[in-house]
Amino acid sequence: MSKVAFSQESLSEFERIVAQYPERRAAMLPTLYLAEKEFGHISPEVEVYVGELLQVPAIKVREVLTFYTLFASKPRGKLHFQVCRGISCDLRGCTKIIEHLQEKLNLNSEETSADLAYTLSEVECLGACETAPMMQLNDDYHGDLTTETVDLILDEKK
Amino acid sequence: MVKVTIDGIEIEIPKGTTVIQAAEQAGIEIPRYCYHPGLSIVGVCRICLVEIERMPKLQVACYTPATEGMVVHTNTEQVLEARQAVMEFLLVNHPLDCPVCDQAGECWLQNFYMQHALHDSRMFENKVKKSKALQIGPNVMLDSERCILCSRCVRFCDEISKSNELGIFNRGDRAELQPYPGTELDNDYSGNTIDICPVGALTDRDFRFRTRVWYLSETESICPGCSTGCNINVHHNDQRTYKAGGSRVSRLKPRYNPDVNEWWMCDAGRYGFTHVDADSRILAPTRSIGEEQEMSWGEAASEIMTKLREVISVHGKESVGVILSPQMTNEDLFVARRFFRDGLGLKHIDFEVAPLTTGAKDDFLIKADKNPNTAGARLLGVGARQGSGMTVAEMLEAARKRKLRALYICHHDLANGFAVDVVEEALTAQDLVVFQGPNTNSTSALAHYVLPAAAFVEKTGSFTNYAERVQMIHTAVTPLGESKADWQIFRSLAKEAAISVPYFEAEDVFQALTAEVEAFSGLPYAGLAGQGIALRDGQALPESETVVA
Repeated sequence: MSKVAFSQESLSEFERIVAQYPERRAAMLPTLYLAEKEFGHISPEVEVYVGELLQVPAIKVREVLTFYTLFASKPRGKLHFQVCRGISCDLRGCTKIIEHLQEKLNLNSEETSADLAYTLSEVECLGACETAPMMQLNDDYHGDLTTETVDLILDEKK
Repeated sequence: MVKVTIDGIEIEIPKGTTVIQAAEQAGIEIPRYCYHPGLSIVGVCRICLVEIERMPKLQVACYTPATEGMVVHTNTEQVLEARQAVMEFLLVNHPLDCPVCDQAGECWLQNFYMQHALHDSRMFENKVKKSKALQIGPNVMLDSERCILCSRCVRFCDEISKSNELGIFNRGDRAELQPYPGTELDNDYSGNTIDICPVGALTDRDFRFRTRVWYLSETESICPGCSTGCNINVHHNDQRTYKAGGSRVSRLKPRYNPDVNEWWMCDAGRYGFTHVDADSRILAPTRSIGEEQEMSWGEAASEIMTKLREVISVHGKESVGVILSPQMTNEDLFVARRFFRDGLGLKHIDFEVAPLTTGAKDDFLIKADKNPNTAGARLLGVGARQGSGMTVAEMLEAARKRKLRALYICHHDLANGFAVDVVEEALTAQDLVVFQGPNTNSTSALAHYVLPAAAFVEKTGSFTNYAERVQMIHTAVTPLGESKADWQIFRSLAKEAAISVPYFEAEDVFQALTAEVEAFSGLPYAGLAGQGIALRDGQALPESETVVA
C-alpha cells in the first residue's frame, strides 16, 4: 500500500475521469494532473499511488511523468511565478521583472523557497504578447507588469 | 490466405501476417531494430520502412498487415533514402566507441550502417553525454549513449519476465533507458535482454571484455541446467583461450525452438557453465588409495575391473551398487545399462537422488528437477523405480552395513541429497568406490578411483527433456585432459570384462538404443539435430513428484 491517498473529493473526481476511458491506464494524464493539484508535486510515493489507481506498474507512471516537462516532480511553492521569456516580453523588459522578483523573493530562477511559499520559473511564450511583459501566477495571467504592479500583486497574495 | 507481391516475388500467407514476416517467408530480410517476433510490436525504430503501392507514404513493415493484392517494394530509391535517414538519426548521438564495445561484430548499428547507410556525418554539434558502464543488475551493464531506445528490453521485462524493471525516462535526446529508481534489473531471465539488445547498450557482465565475438565458434547444444532442456548455442573460443584465462567456453546463448524455450533461457542456465573450465575438472584417471596417483586409462580399467570381479566373486552380484546420473546422456545411460545390468548382471542400479533443498521453479522455463535427462533415464529403465534393485538411499544404508561392498558412482555429489556423515560412513565402509564425473566433489574425495568424464560441451549425445523430447548436444570443444564421454569409459571397462560394447560413435549407440528400447524405437538419428523430436507429440507431462538432485 502506498503512503499517500487522494481525499474523498479527488477520489470521486478520479472515478469520474476513469469512467470516460476504455482502459484505466488511458486516464494517466488527467490523473497525474489531479494528483499534482492534490499533492503539490508528484513524489515517488505519488507515482506508486497513481500506478495502483490505474493498475499499472509505477515505472509506467514515471515514464509518462518524465516525458512531459510541465509536471512537477519536485516540491513547488504555494505561489508559482512563471515569468514569460518570450520575445515580446523580452523586448518589453521581462529581465527587469525577473530580477525584481528574484530580489523580492530572495530566490534564483527555477528555485523554490525553503518554506515552500514561492517558486520562481522562467518559461517560454505563454501566448499573451498583447500584455507583455507578463507572468502566470498559479492559474492566473498578470500582464503589463512593472516593478510596482509586481509589488502590488505580492502584497495582495502574501 | 492472402496473396502479396514483395520485390516481385509473389507469396501466399495467412491473413494477419505482417509485411516484415511475409518478406521473411519470401526470403527477403528487411532491417529491424525494435521488431522482435517474441515481443509486442511498437514500430518505434522506423528502420523497416517499405514502399507499398497505392499508399502515399512509406510504411513500417513490422506493423503493417499484408493484405490481398498488396505490392511491396523493399529496395527502391525512396526506401533506401529513408533507411539512410533513419540511420543518420540513430547515429546522431551515438558515441562510436566500437573499439571498446563488446557488441562490435554482432552490432546491428554496424551491420546496417555497412548495408544501408554508409553516409558521412553532417553533425557539428556536440554529442549528448549519458551514463556509461552503469551496472543495472547482477548480470547486465548499461551504456546509455549506445542505446537507440528500441524498447525491446523494456517490453521483455513487461511481457516475458513480467517484472517491469526497465523504463524509458525523459524525452527527445535526453530520453534514457533506466531501471526504476532504487531497483535493479534482477530477474531470473535478465540475460535475455542482452541477447535482444540490437546494439551495445546492454552487455553481459560475465562476458564483458573476455573475447571479441569474431573469435567465437558456435555449436548447437542443450542446456543441462534443468529438465526443460532449453536449446542453446555454445559459443566457444578455440583460438585465443589464453586471452580468456584459459576458459574455452565463452558464453551460452538461447537457440530458437518454438516447442521448448522459444527465444529465451534463464540466467541460471546461461551462467551455469563455469564448471566446464573450472579448476575442479578431473584431468586423468586417478588412484586415491594411499598416495594419489594418476594412471593411464588401460591401467585404470584393468585395476578397477580386477577389484570389481574380486568383490563379485567373494560377495556376489548383489554386493555392488551402481549410481548413474540424470546428467548423463541417453547414450551414456544405455551403455551403462548394457555393461552393468546386461553384461555384469548387476541388480542394484539407480540414478535418482532427491536433493535436500528443492530446486527453484516457475511456470515458464525453470523446472525444479535440475537434470537434463531424468526422463531419458526413466525410459531407459536404469532407476530402482523402474527395476527391482535398491534405491540410492537403500544402497547407502546397505553400504554402511557392509551388505554392499562396492559402489560405482557417476557425477553425483551425494552430499546434495544426504547428510555428509551418512555418505561418509557408507563410502568408507566399502572395498571399492569408483567415482566418474567431470568435476571433483565431496563424493569423489571419498573414492578409491576417480575417472574423468567429459563435460556436456565435450561430447555428442542426446537428452530427453521433461516432456520427453529427445534433443542433441554436440561436441563443441575437445575433452579436457584425459577425460572422455561416460559411455566411452564404460566401453573401456567392458572391454576388460570381455563384454561386447560394439560402438564407435555416439550415433552407433543411439542406433542400438532405438533398436532395443521400446520408448525410443524408430527415432531417426538425423532428425534429432536442430529442434529435436518429441516422443509423444510434444504432450507436456506433469512434473514428477520426485525431484532429482
